[in-house]
Amino acid sequence: MIYFEKVSKIYKQAEGGTSEALKNITLHIKPGEFVIVVGHSGAGKSTLIKLINREIRPDKGKIFVGGLDYSELKKRDIPYLRRKIGVVFQDYKLLPKKTVFENVGYALEVAGIRPKEIKERVPRILDLVGLGAKTNCFPRELSGGERQRVAIARAIVHQPRILIADEPTGNLDPKTSWEIVEILQKINQLGTTIIMTTHNSHIVNKLKKRVIKLADGKIVTDEAMGRYEN
Amino acid sequence: MHSFIRMVKSGFSSFIRNGWLSVASITVMVLTLLTLSIFFILNIVLNTGIKTIQDKIDISAYLNDGIKQSVVIDLQNDLAGMSEIKSIKYISKDDALAAFKLQNKDNQKLLDSLNGIDNSLPASLEIKVYDPNKLDQITTTLESNKYKASVMKISYKENKEIIDKLFRATNLTKQIGIIITAAFTLVSLIIIFNTVRIAIFSRMEEIEIMKLVGATPGFIKGPFIIEGTLYGIIATVISMLVLSSVLYFVTPAIASYIGGVGDNISNFLRDNIVQVLLIQLGVGITIGVFSSWLAIRKHLKFG
Repeated sequence: MIYFEKVSKIYKQAEGGTSEALKNITLHIKPGEFVIVVGHSGAGKSTLIKLINREIRPDKGKIFVGGLDYSELKKRDIPYLRRKIGVVFQDYKLLPKKTVFENVGYALEVAGIRPKEIKERVPRILDLVGLGAKTNCFPRELSGGERQRVAIARAIVHQPRILIADEPTGNLDPKTSWEIVEILQKINQLGTTIIMTTHNSHIVNKLKKRVIKLADGKIVTDEAMGRYEN
Repeated sequence: MHSFIRMVKSGFSSFIRNGWLSVASITVMVLTLLTLSIFFILNIVLNTGIKTIQDKIDISAYLNDGIKQSVVIDLQNDLAGMSEIKSIKYISKDDALAAFKLQNKDNQKLLDSLNGIDNSLPASLEIKVYDPNKLDQITTTLESNKYKASVMKISYKENKEIIDKLFRATNLTKQIGIIITAAFTLVSLIIIFNTVRIAIFSRMEEIEIMKLVGATPGFIKGPFIIEGTLYGIIATVISMLVLSSVLYFVTPAIASYIGGVGDNISNFLRDNIVQVLLIQLGVGITIGVFSSWLAIRKHLKFG
């Protein structure tokens, strides 16, 4: 499903130097897996996510997602790629001037889905994430946990085969965090491949999934049923 | 088709939900349109004024007494053949006297003194031209050898210096008018463009999110362009309302200072209301759409 072959990413710094965020990473994620990427801030977790979503390009190495070679991907194809991947961000990234329904529906609108179908699919997804009652609220009227549920609903409403979640619980309290993780688990059970970054050891240890630990841009451990201590 | 309807809907709703941004953009656009309209109207006033003055500039060629009628007809025909000439009117000695009497109808003493005296007023040709700048050519004809003996005096020659000064002044005024209008147009365009750009800049995060969930550049752009169109339409309506009510109250005042000019403006607006509206609408929408398009373009690059 996702394959990284000797991938390196180097950022240029303002002072003129460079920092290597990822160093020669090789990684394989199979369809239907639930993978947790852990590590301290600056370990390269977000870089990994951004590479999968094609927000940035690697400086070395090759990336394949769903059989697609990113080095051959044209800029104008990026929107179509993103419709096949769902992304959840730590800061939710909801459209502030759109209601819950419109935010979730937007992911379908961009793909040219008919209004009638959107009206059917959005409420179903909102029920799945437990937000059926908040359909017409604006993001500012919601709690952090509710906002993240909207973001998840938007990320999965177009039924992507991959869902990436970058610190989805980063801004949430422990109880709400676990609720969000449970939703992700439910989505995974429906067949979606999930890659989640976190540094919440409690969640990692309770989930008992594959854990990839990054430190200083390198993979230090990669274990099925891994554990993580801060 | 449904994606176009979707774009229009989305444009309308974001126009309303971005209330104060829309208000700010429209306000600037109204001011732009008003400034431009006022300058165009000032141009009309100026041109009408200049035209009125230029219409009053004509040549009178005074003819010597006793010249043959055939020479007068020859002269008239020769002049009529020139494309610069609008009209030629022959004023006989009797006509001249009648006009003189009419002019001085309140001066009974003067009129009385004319009785019994031979009419000493000369016959003349009153020549009007399309372009007062061509007056020189006509005097050349009048002074040619063929007519030199028949023409006593050319009025234009006498007033040439004043008329030339007037021309220089009116031409200069026209040019300055055009330059100022052009400068104001440019400044207005820059201001409105920057307003729209700031409006869009403040929504950069929104655009970023749209890109992240797989919207194509066209899909993101659409609603912003619709918003720009709405700015244009609403600004036009407001500016037309302001303009027509201001003119309604102001023209009588102008008219009392420069007779004819005030009438000209209100007539102009009344006769051309549809054109004025369409031009404003065209300018408004073009500016709205073009600035939105230009401002959003650079946010739509996929890295």
